[in-house]
Amino acid sequence: MFSRRRLLAGATALGGAAFLPSIAHAKGSVAAAIYPGTWEEAFRAIVAPALKKKDSVDLELQPLFAVDQVAKAKAARGAPPFDAFVLDPGPRITAIQDGLFDKIDMKKITNASKLPAGLVDEWGVGVNAQVVGIAYNPKKVPAPKGWKDLFVEPWVSRLGLTGFQTTFGTVSLIEIAKVFGGSETNIEPALVELKKVLPKIAAVGQPAAMPSLFQQGQCDVMYTNTQTVATLKGRGVDIEFVKPETGAITFLTTLHIAKGAADVENAYKYIDIVAGKDVQEALTKPPYNFIPVNKDVPVPSYLPMKSLDEMSSFVRHDWAKINPLRAGWIEKFNKEMAK
Amino acid sequence: MRKLAEWQLALPLALAFASIFLAPLLMLVGVSFFNDDKISQPGFGQWAKFLGDPFSYKVIADTMLLGLKTVCATIVIGYPLALIYLDASPRLQKVLIFIIVMPLLLSVVVRTFAWIVVLGREGVVNTLLMQLGIISEPLRLLQTELGLVISLTQIEMPLMLLPLISVMSRLDPNLRDASSALGASRWRTLFKVIVPLSMPGLVAGCLLVFASSTTAFISQTVIGGVRLIYLPLLIWQQSLVVFNWPFAAVVSLTLLVSVLTVVSALSYLGRRSGGYVHG
Repeated sequence: MFSRRRLLAGATALGGAAFLPSIAHAKGSVAAAIYPGTWEEAFRAIVAPALKKKDSVDLELQPLFAVDQVAKAKAARGAPPFDAFVLDPGPRITAIQDGLFDKIDMKKITNASKLPAGLVDEWGVGVNAQVVGIAYNPKKVPAPKGWKDLFVEPWVSRLGLTGFQTTFGTVSLIEIAKVFGGSETNIEPALVELKKVLPKIAAVGQPAAMPSLFQQGQCDVMYTNTQTVATLKGRGVDIEFVKPETGAITFLTTLHIAKGAADVENAYKYIDIVAGKDVQEALTKPPYNFIPVNKDVPVPSYLPMKSLDEMSSFVRHDWAKINPLRAGWIEKFNKEMAK
Repeated sequence: MRKLAEWQLALPLALAFASIFLAPLLMLVGVSFFNDDKISQPGFGQWAKFLGDPFSYKVIADTMLLGLKTVCATIVIGYPLALIYLDASPRLQKVLIFIIVMPLLLSVVVRTFAWIVVLGREGVVNTLLMQLGIISEPLRLLQTELGLVISLTQIEMPLMLLPLISVMSRLDPNLRDASSALGASRWRTLFKVIVPLSMPGLVAGCLLVFASSTTAFISQTVIGGVRLIYLPLLIWQQSLVVFNWPFAAVVSLTLLVSVLTVVSALSYLGRRSGGYVHG
């Protein structure tokens, strides 16, 4: 994903950054797009006050899903409605291809040295990792071992799933395809197996509705990320996270500066503070349950890994290959799953 | 000073309407005639793709049927309610109006998620039926068309009741008395006098409920799930997930045209039956 040369360049720039005088304080505001829900709440409660305190910059948050941000920025044609994006890998690649980002000047991210290799590149800064696996209700079903288990009893009749609309849905279906002989670019086996068990499956839902469906007992097994599991657990829902035997999936959430941003300097300050130790640590606490990426922040105990380094063994996907195929997959999923 | 003509008074509204509704609509039509998602090659490719796929017709038919089923359910439940309202004391009428309007004061998202709690596997309905011993296994209500129609009926009910009640409360009570004095039974009075006279309200209610339920994206996807595919879900997928705006424009225009067709048919029927009363 990141070439060695790019990493070296980044590391050199970071080293150089240490000798630069600190940038003068500029006041004003920054408009940042943010995922609705937990992200918005967390950034409002933690990032906004931190940015105000350190840099006297007001943070204006615009709640938008990743795909909505890209759609809005595309529609705005050079005058984006916000200065900074927050994106998953798929939309990130679309945005790079559509030229929606300004290149990152790594010197301006003072916390970059605290991030593991590969998190900062010319287009953005990784500020959060997501880990996706299987969640189940321990009071209703035994713990599944891997993706294959989802297709047999007792799990299949309690399974809730989503399609290719979201990043976590797409990568989970790819992993399912892999255990049945498919690959990152061939999801056919997953659809074939799904079709066989379709009448038994408890729910095929809209991604945003899945936590509610689980909470209401409509389904007792689903694929999801650790953050959703921790949040539901915090609400008293019986839910546990399982790392599938083929490995948990991980992907980065990255912040980017919009091309044509009204306030680029403040956007840098915003990104830098999100990558910093204090904000990262506060974000890992309940009810927010983020996975930190700053090396100085301890990894929360409920996560399926002890250190961030362990995540290098997790499954990752190449979205440059996935993106061009996704429209076809969505169409196929519609047709195969339709009642 | 010359007197302003009526059309001149309507000019500000007409200009606003043209710029914020008509212009985007024309752009939508324009975008649909591009072959690629970068909107660079003009052509009929997206229309050909959509209209050449049998799956599209299934989705159109399902969407229209969902609207018709919801309309029927709101009439069956709403009409008697309107009759009760008509005979109620002024005080009770105030209470009824409050109850009818109350759902409109709640966000549709909240109402939709509340229906998950009601219809879910461990929801209110299933728990009650199981405790009463009527069923042994929970019924599947969520993610079925039945569940969706039930919830849409509640969600869209105010749109049926408000026009219906406003028309019915203007009916001359003497007409009903005259009908019974002339020997008509209560049912005959209902079908020969009240229903025909309330037809404008009923038709207006049907139009609103139909247009609103066929386009109710949140309720359709959250309660119906993604195995029940309606046109709004396709539009959302194509515009916001896949970024194929020309195809999304084609689906949007299809939704617009199909809803308008049914709505015109309904209002034509309404006008014909409205004429019956005087004829």
